[in-house]
Amino acid sequence: MSEKELGRKWDRCLADGVIKIGTGLGLGIVFSVLFFKRRTWPISLGSGAGLGMAYANCQNDLRAHYLRHRGEKEQEQ
Amino acid sequence: MAARIWPFLKLATKVTIAGGAVYVACDSGLLGSSEQGSEALEKAKAAVPPALEEWMKYFGLETQLPSMPKIEFSPVKSWNSGVRWTISKLSEAPTKTADYSNQGLQYVKDLIK
Repeated sequence: MSEKELGRKWDRCLADGVIKIGTGLGLGIVFSVLFFKRRTWPISLGSGAGLGMAYANCQNDLRAHYLRHRGEKEQEQ
Repeated sequence: MAARIWPFLKLATKVTIAGGAVYVACDSGLLGSSEQGSEALEKAKAAVPPALEEWMKYFGLETQLPSMPKIEFSPVKSWNSGVRWTISKLSEAPTKTADYSNQGLQYVKDLIK
């Protein structure tokens, strides 16, 4: 992976993380206000789930480069 | 009769609002892959100034908000230049230390003379 590509991937990771945490927070707030009498735990659950999704996406994105090459090597053999 | 339907109506409204929020989040690619997420962020960034302008006009505060100054600050550049500065200072350190200690010794010798 070239430096430029790696930098772009990290940028995408951070942007994606911000979006997912924000979305999780927003949905958590909506659910907390509507169904759970303004308790805190849906908000924490939502932002935590968003963080986890962002982490998984980032992991897949960074690993994808190496997985592709491994598949090609197996085909050559 | 209205009193019996009211709780159901409330629940139905709440479910509609929550379901709508979840649908909007999933549909606009907010919960998808990284590319979709960064696309959505770019769209949001591009859509904020016109929306802000419209709101300002609506409230009659057209000239209130000063234009956002274009901030040319880049954390990456600052970090990189900081690293370069540190390493160059570290590489010069032995030579500079030798110079300063020689100067100090010379000064002391002059005093003793």
